[in-house]
Amino acid sequence: MKDFMLIFIGKEYTDLGLSPEQMQERMGKWFAWSQKMEKQGIVKHGEALHPVVRQISGPNRTVTDRTAAELKEIVGGYYMIKAKDLDAACAIAQDFPDFDLGNTVEVREVMVFDNF
Amino acid sequence: MQEQQVIDHLFRHQYGKMVSILTRIFGFKNFELIEDAVQDTFAKATVQWRTKIPENPEAWFTTASKNRVIDLLRKIDADKNRIEKLNYSASAISFTNLFEKEEIQDSELRMIFTACHPELNANDQIAFALKTIGGFSTSEIAAALLIKPETVKKRLTRAKKTIVDRNIDFRFPSKDRLQERLYIVLEVIYLIFNEGFHSNHKKLLVRKELCGEGLRLTKMILSKQELRCGASYALFSLMCFHSSRLETKIDSDFNSINLKNQDRTKWYFPLINLGYNALEKAEDYLDFSAYHLEAAIAAEHVKAKTFEETNWEKILELYSQLQENDKNAVISLSMAIVFIQLQQPEKALEILEEVCPSILGQRSYLYYGVKAKYYQSTGDIGAAINSLNTAITKVANQVEKAYLIKKRDVLLTL
Repeated sequence: MKDFMLIFIGKEYTDLGLSPEQMQERMGKWFAWSQKMEKQGIVKHGEALHPVVRQISGPNRTVTDRTAAELKEIVGGYYMIKAKDLDAACAIAQDFPDFDLGNTVEVREVMVFDNF
Repeated sequence: MQEQQVIDHLFRHQYGKMVSILTRIFGFKNFELIEDAVQDTFAKATVQWRTKIPENPEAWFTTASKNRVIDLLRKIDADKNRIEKLNYSASAISFTNLFEKEEIQDSELRMIFTACHPELNANDQIAFALKTIGGFSTSEIAAALLIKPETVKKRLTRAKKTIVDRNIDFRFPSKDRLQERLYIVLEVIYLIFNEGFHSNHKKLLVRKELCGEGLRLTKMILSKQELRCGASYALFSLMCFHSSRLETKIDSDFNSINLKNQDRTKWYFPLINLGYNALEKAEDYLDFSAYHLEAAIAAEHVKAKTFEETNWEKILELYSQLQENDKNAVISLSMAIVFIQLQQPEKALEILEEVCPSILGQRSYLYYGVKAKYYQSTGDIGAAINSLNTAITKVANQVEKAYLIKKRDVLLTL
């Protein structure tokens, strides 16, 4: 088993103007997904990220405050999961609930260092 | 781990509750801030509840809205003046009490009365009520009422502006005006319900939601002693009877099915029983309304086990009473149909001749539809086809159009 990180990228619900009803529906889908993964013992952990973004970049360490609305896409959260290989991890990501909103899942394998 | 599910529409209904409480505390001046704050709370719940749904979701929202009040106080930059004002307006009731169940409901009722304030334009009332109490989004209102989202936006903006400009208070009307204002509220709820029931929206879900909202709002009205009266019970009864057959009004291909051909075994009987109970309760009060008569007509329809067993004489009598109070063209058309059922086409014609179809506006196709029925009952198939053709050119709704075309094509094969 290897460790993978599923990174959720896209638009924030509030910026998409989802209604309370639609939010509840989304929440239900996420809940079902997390229940499913929990039962299968796939998830190690996960977090959701606050939509406030402060970027520090360049040699001058320029600090920019960005709101989620300004950015086309932001990282909304991640899951650390266990899977056999990249294909299996991608199969797990199929249940990500927000594909229809144009959001993306990035699947990345966690690098394992050699201990000599 | 236990599988926990959140009750249907919880978010939507909580939206109305939270907006109402916050408006009661902060007033309409801060309405936009309030709406944003509530929206944020939902976004938060959506993320936080992904892995674990709180044991008591409703309580979670109540606490969240309390915390929002504190955030908002900071945001509004609470100067002394402001705090004094707040203390004053909430003096009769402590801050914490405002979040008790009864007071939350009280806030919601205040919102209903504000949304249905006579100073507001009738169209704006419906949109504003759906948004603030129903928790519908702009696009959901647009979809439900079959209008453009921009139109909804305009109506909502105008409603908010009217409320602020005219300084409309967020409270119940005074005792001497309560009855009169309640009747406007009931009228708005009735219109919301009818939008669902008579709409030919392709999605049954949308229709159900509007009808459901009408029922929920009426229930809310009935929860308060002072608002119970014959009219509110009768309206509830009417909505129960109608809702019981909502599912059978349309087939799987979205074709409308008329009363004659609906599968009566699929009518939802628990709702019918609720309807009878409410109608009985309505009679305990002195006031009498058109809803009483409409509910009684609906009751006659659901009472009949088959279409043929319908008591048309009784229905005719009820329609005549309705007509006495409110002479309108739609009632006339219904009466004409009853006369056709009673095999008195000459009486039907008499009524039809008094109706000027242009008064029906967009619904003038109904007039030609009934006229066709009249001709058909007298055996004049040619004239019936002509009338249906006129109806087809006048109807805007595709589902109704398909229904009329089908009817005409049947006549063409005769």
